[in-house]
Amino acid sequence: MSDQKKQGAGQTPGTSSSDLSRKLSTLLFISPLIFMFLFFALPMMFTVVFSVFERTMFWMEPGFTLFAYENFFLSARFNNFLESMYYSLISVIVCFILGFPIAVFVRKSVPQVAQHRVVLLFILPFMVSEIIRVFALRPVLQRNGLVNQTLQSLGIIEEPITSILYTHTGVVIGEVMSFLPFIVFSGFLAMEAIPKYIFEVCSDLGVRPLRVFKDVIIPLAAPGVFAGSVFIFINGLGVALIPNILGGPGAVNAGLIATQAIVALDMPMAMAISAIMTATLMGLLFIGHKLFDITKILSPAS
Amino acid sequence: MANSNPAVEVTNLAKHYGDVVALRDVNLTINAGEYFVLLGPSGGGKTTLLRTIGGFHKPTIGTVKLHGQDVGNLPPDKRPTSMVFQSYALFPHMTVLGNVGYGLKIAGLGKNEVRDKSMAMLDVVGLNGFENRKPHELSGGQQQRVQLARALVLDRDILLLDEPLAALDAQLRKDMCLELKHLQEKVGITFIHVTHNQEEAMTVADRIALIADGDLVEFGAAQDIYREPDKGFTASFVGENNVLTGRVAKVTKTITDVLIGEHSVITPTRGLAPSVGDEVTLSIRSELVEVGGKGKPTGGYAIEATYEESVYLGLTTTYLFRLANGQTMMSRVISDGDSQKMNPGDKITLSWRTGAMRLHTA
Amino acid sequence: MENEYANVWVHRLKWAYLLLIVVTLMSPVLYIMYISFNEYGFGANRYSFTWEWYWLIFGDRILLQALKWTMLLAVSTTVIAVPLSLIAAKYYRSTRNKLLPIFLLMSPLFVAPDIMGSALLVYFKNLNRVFSWIGEQLGTGMFDTWFDLGFMTTLIGLIIYTVPYSFIVIIITMGRYHDQQTEAARACGASGWQAFRDIEFPQIRAGVFSACAFTVILCFNEYTRSSLLKGGFDTFTTVLISEMLNTGMSEQSYAMSSLVSFVAIAIIGSIIIFTMIRADAMTRQARLKENPVGS
Repeated sequence: MSDQKKQGAGQTPGTSSSDLSRKLSTLLFISPLIFMFLFFALPMMFTVVFSVFERTMFWMEPGFTLFAYENFFLSARFNNFLESMYYSLISVIVCFILGFPIAVFVRKSVPQVAQHRVVLLFILPFMVSEIIRVFALRPVLQRNGLVNQTLQSLGIIEEPITSILYTHTGVVIGEVMSFLPFIVFSGFLAMEAIPKYIFEVCSDLGVRPLRVFKDVIIPLAAPGVFAGSVFIFINGLGVALIPNILGGPGAVNAGLIATQAIVALDMPMAMAISAIMTATLMGLLFIGHKLFDITKILSPAS
Repeated sequence: MANSNPAVEVTNLAKHYGDVVALRDVNLTINAGEYFVLLGPSGGGKTTLLRTIGGFHKPTIGTVKLHGQDVGNLPPDKRPTSMVFQSYALFPHMTVLGNVGYGLKIAGLGKNEVRDKSMAMLDVVGLNGFENRKPHELSGGQQQRVQLARALVLDRDILLLDEPLAALDAQLRKDMCLELKHLQEKVGITFIHVTHNQEEAMTVADRIALIADGDLVEFGAAQDIYREPDKGFTASFVGENNVLTGRVAKVTKTITDVLIGEHSVITPTRGLAPSVGDEVTLSIRSELVEVGGKGKPTGGYAIEATYEESVYLGLTTTYLFRLANGQTMMSRVISDGDSQKMNPGDKITLSWRTGAMRLHTA
Repeated sequence: MENEYANVWVHRLKWAYLLLIVVTLMSPVLYIMYISFNEYGFGANRYSFTWEWYWLIFGDRILLQALKWTMLLAVSTTVIAVPLSLIAAKYYRSTRNKLLPIFLLMSPLFVAPDIMGSALLVYFKNLNRVFSWIGEQLGTGMFDTWFDLGFMTTLIGLIIYTVPYSFIVIIITMGRYHDQQTEAARACGASGWQAFRDIEFPQIRAGVFSACAFTVILCFNEYTRSSLLKGGFDTFTTVLISEMLNTGMSEQSYAMSSLVSFVAIAIIGSIIIFTMIRADAMTRQARLKENPVGS
């Protein structure tokens, strides 16, 4: 490709100014990466460093102690953490079951030009603030909320359902409602790699829909679906608001633990949580990269 | 053109992409005002060479000199070259006039001058009246002509064409070939044209260079390449040649004795230097192989072959045969009504003159 | 091209399911909007349409102040993050080693907001300490407050948050652009910058503007990172949340949330409609291509 784009100097002697402009333009082109490194990669890496610092009254002191980790792993917090992982996983599965068929449907049966637009429909809920959506679920799921009122007025139930708010179910509902669009997006993006004619070929060959699904769609859509799932899983673990607002008294997730730690000025603990989450994320991404090449998601046609 | 330097001098040029070698030690000189074609199979390096001359690739080793000046790593906009691409290279959001005038606008010419020059060039390429169309409203041939106008209006010394006719259908291609040749004769600048299509190459070219697998195999005038190829690859790529493999039995300065199967064939050494026991190839143009003669012609050879099938192409018919040792041969004739009827499996004698054979060591 | 066998009803069923999901996802928001127009607030048995709460917003100084800050943040973020993503996208397309850029640019998507906020908060505070210490050694106080929690730290957090999104939008838009056009422009004498300005940008303009709209909306709606990094001032979302958590949602809050949602939906809705119009124009063009005028 045009690797000439960034270079401007010929080899005539004494052209240090064009050398300079070449260096400047290279700098320009990697500036986004530098920015991301300085303000994202570095802070994330430092969470590990900070997590082993010692806690002081208001902040922390450089040192080396595993106290924060001990505190975490040996306390109830760890069980809560595992529990929240479990429920996040359930959310991912529910999202997949509900959302992936939509992605398949759009890719397969909607005319090509309209496809992006239909997917945009799923951006709509996402355009509303994440917190508003979560908060908005309270009046919907409450004892006298929308769901119960509707069901009662339709005569389907007599007593209001109380198990959908301030419980784990509420948390799962909140996560699904917040993150379902992402499975649709990532599934769709991944399947842009599948040219439409494949579906026609399959129906020509008389392949039954289930086999098409298993042998064609799943392998090709896998990287995208995996990325989407990781996104949902990590966010389920990390968005403190959801269990905070929708969960019962004991419901916490990693994000909530971290935020609580910060409020309590226990920085090393917060950092430890961050480090653990980052490690979990890295682990998942690494597995994903080994299983399928994630860079393919952004350039499916190449 | 006051410059007496050749238009393009490529010296020891090599281009590597990591481990992949796209071009290997190319040395080439292209003269000013010549229509030069880079011919070769797909992926062989001809486009890489063109783009390196144009400044789109940086040479890994070697130099490119344009009109005597080493262009080093100068980008395309700073070279005395302009380029016509295969497709998708017209600016879709501009009109034809806008497209053609873009380079002039960048060069800082005034609006009126840009318009006048662009209109004049559109006239030259035969697109009067199209100036307000948008690219998507043009046919393939028209689009290529806009590209030509856009490149030529810049009045640069060298025009590079990267498979410009590949997206056109066969008849249109033939017409455009002639147009290109006439255009070049009229404008007088150097054209360097990349293609994998032989007919195209031979229609337009003053000289042709054959590039395959990263190597510059051979170059010369179309006639020379066709009738007297030097390398075996050239013989196998250009024209419809029979290429027979054999082993050297005896070598002298003037003649070489090659063993093909059980047949011993004596052919001029042609200045090559094979050793006894080497594997060599002999090429014979298919139109010089006679079918069904009555045995050995004077000063020639005959061989027994089994007829397999024929390919009718309108003007010519090619007959395909198999030799006893498994190699294939073909004979090409101008089709005429009472051509002999042969059946698959028939044993036919093929014959040719000694002069029709060429020895190749590489 | 659609399958033309007799499963029209299955097709319709699938469409219905799709729309059902969209509506369900939107329902809490729609419900909030519904409430926001109710004179009697939430939970009341009576319903009377009113604009009252919306008028009240404009009298609520705290809310307006917060809105102002959020606007400022949103615009600043867009002005920095979108060009950054654009540059990153061009770099990504032209480089061979794609793993590192993708990793650096897309990972923020996968880090939960609380985690990212906490990490950045601690990072900035410690950076401050380091800088102050350096300042002490050098006898100057000028490094002391570079990374104090405030506008700039929030800005940085928002940029990190939004870059992946605008990067994706721009990369997808660039997917339709043929690099040969840039090469053709270079061959005509344009420099790299000129080729971008005259040839590439006009064709990716729509994507860049979408990325801008997207970024503004994302900033408006962002809560967690802003709340952790903002220091003294309030953003729109933090005011809303603190209200909700402390005093319960006031009627103005419902109105405010609805208003912001309206605006966001309006923006995205108009983008959708706009792309519909363009898509129609393009199919018309494509049809013209197949039957070109003359030859």
